[in-house]
Amino acid sequence: MIRTTGSLIATPRAAFLIYRMHIGMILGSRRSLAAIGLAAIPPLLAFLAANFAPDNQTENSIFLKLGTFVLIQFVVPMLSVAMGVGVIADEAESRTITFPFTRPIPRMSLFLGRWLAALTAITVLVAASCVLTALLVQVKDRGQPPTNEIVQSFLQAALLGGVVYSLGSAVVGVLLKRGLIFALGYVFAIEALLANVPGSSQSLTVQYHLRSMFIDKEAGIWKFLEEAELIKFLTPEEAVSKLAVATAVLLVVGCVLVSRKQFVLAA
Amino acid sequence: MSAIIEANGLGRWYGEVVGLGDLSVNIEPGITGLVGPNGAGKSTFMKVMVGELRPHRGTISVLGHKPFASRALYKRLGFCPQQDALYEHQTGLAFVRDLLRLGGQSKKQATRDAEAAMERVGLTEAMNRRVSDYSKGMRQRTRLAQSIAHSPDLIIADEPLTGLDPIARRQIIELFQELSAEGKSVILSSHVLHEVEHLTETIVLIHRGRLLAQGSVREVRQLISRHPSRVRVTARDPRKLAARLFDQPHVRAVALGPDGESVQIETDNVAEFHVTFAAVAKEAAAGVRSLSSDDASLEAVFDYLVG
Repeated sequence: MIRTTGSLIATPRAAFLIYRMHIGMILGSRRSLAAIGLAAIPPLLAFLAANFAPDNQTENSIFLKLGTFVLIQFVVPMLSVAMGVGVIADEAESRTITFPFTRPIPRMSLFLGRWLAALTAITVLVAASCVLTALLVQVKDRGQPPTNEIVQSFLQAALLGGVVYSLGSAVVGVLLKRGLIFALGYVFAIEALLANVPGSSQSLTVQYHLRSMFIDKEAGIWKFLEEAELIKFLTPEEAVSKLAVATAVLLVVGCVLVSRKQFVLAA
Repeated sequence: MSAIIEANGLGRWYGEVVGLGDLSVNIEPGITGLVGPNGAGKSTFMKVMVGELRPHRGTISVLGHKPFASRALYKRLGFCPQQDALYEHQTGLAFVRDLLRLGGQSKKQATRDAEAAMERVGLTEAMNRRVSDYSKGMRQRTRLAQSIAHSPDLIIADEPLTGLDPIARRQIIELFQELSAEGKSVILSSHVLHEVEHLTETIVLIHRGRLLAQGSVREVRQLISRHPSRVRVTARDPRKLAARLFDQPHVRAVALGPDGESVQIETDNVAEFHVTFAAVAKEAAAGVRSLSSDDASLEAVFDYLVG
C-alpha cells in the first residue's frame, strides 16, 4: 500500500522530467521532419483542390473530403503510429533505457513522460494540419466555407484519434520488437478493411468512433450508409466516451507492461 | 563483513543461449573485478545485479534488495553500462544532471553534483558540448560520471576501461581507488586480467556463465595452474620425447598418440610445463613439429589469465 502510494506520488514528477528530457529530442528528430511532411499533405491538397477542383465542389465539400479521407483516415493514424510506436521501443533499441531504469523512479513514468512528449508533437502537427486545411480550401472563392463548428468537430476527432492511435502504438512498441510493422499493418490493412466494409464490424475500429464524432456534419457516404441501415453511428458523446475508456485501458496496459517487462536485445 | 552481492544458483538464458548457468557467488565490499573471456556471462550477471534482467532461476540480493525495478536499491546503486548509448541531443552535463534529477534532486543540486562528477572523470572542459560530438573515451567517461554522480554506495561498471586512452585509463583507475577509499564498493568487469590487477586483488572469475574461481589474483592463478591440462605434441620421434617427459615435474601422464606421430601429455601446471618443455625438447632432439592444447576451454582460460 505504502509502495503504491509512493509510486503514485513519484510518477508525475518523474514523468514530467522525462517529458522535458525528451520533448526537445522528439521535435528535433528526423522522424519529426517526416511527420511535418506528412502533416503538410492535407493543407497542400486543400490548396490544390481549391484552385483546380471542379466548380461544383464547394469549400466545405472539399474540406469534408480531405478531412475525412486524408486527415482522419491517413495522416492521423500514420503520424500517430510513427511517433507512438517508438515511445519505449526507441529507448530499448538504442539501449539508453538502462539509464532511466536504474534510477529510483517508477518505470511507468518513462512510458508516460515519453508518450506525452510524442503526443505533444502529434497534437501540434495534427491541429496545424487541420486548421491550415480549413484555411487553404478558402484561397479561391467557391462559396460555402466550412463553419467553425465543422472544423472543430474534425479537429476534436483528429486529436482524439492521435491520442488513441499513438497510445495503442506505444503499447505495441513495448510488446513487439517489430512494432512499427505490426502497427502500420493493423491500421492500414486490418482496420482500414473493417472500417470500410458496411456492417457492425466497423464498430470495432477507431475510425468508426472518429467518424461518429463528425458524421452529423458530413452529408456524404457514411450518412447514406446509415440511412440505408447498413451501419448505425454513435452520437459524438458516445464515441468520445468509448475512446476515452479505450485510452484509459491502453494507458494502464502500457504502464503495467513497462513496469514488468525486461528489455533484452541480445546476450 | 556482510556480502553486498549474494547470488545463489543464478540461471539466465537468451533463448537457447546460456547467459548464466547456476552461478553462486558472494561479493564482499571493496573493489572486485569480475573477470572472464568474452561471452562468459559477465554482462548478463551485471544486468541481473542492476535489475535490468530477472534471473530465470536462483536468487540474488544486492545491498539487501531484490534488484529488479527496486527504487530503494537504485538510490544506492550506480551503473555504468558497457553499451555506447547516450542521449545524443544533450550535452554531457545535461545528461548527468537530468539523470540526477530523476533521483529526486533539485535542479541546482543536480547541476552542482553533475559538474563535480564530470570533473572527477576529467570532462570539465567538454561538459557543455553535445555528447554526439564526444570521442569514444569521452562517452565512456560520461557514462561513468552518471554512475557516480549521486554518490552511490555501490558502483557497478561493465568494462569501464574499454576504449580509454592510457591517460584516461589511469585517471579512471585512480578514480575507482578514490571511491574505494571513500568507502564505496566497486564491481567492475573486464576480459583483461592485467587491467583488473591494477585495481584490486579480489577477483571473481566467470566462465560459461558459471563461477570458475574467486579470491585474490594469486589464488586464482594457482587454482587454474593446479587444474590438469592436456597438451598434444607432434614430433619426428615421439617415443624419444615421451621418454624424456616422464620424469619432468608437473607432468602427470604421458601417452603416445594413436597416429604414432604425437605425444599426449597431462600436466598439473601448464604454465610451468611450457617453461620447461623447450629445454626438454631440445635435449631430446626429437624433432618437435607442433604443440597444442587438447583442452580448448581450459587453454582459453589459461591464455586469458596469463595474457
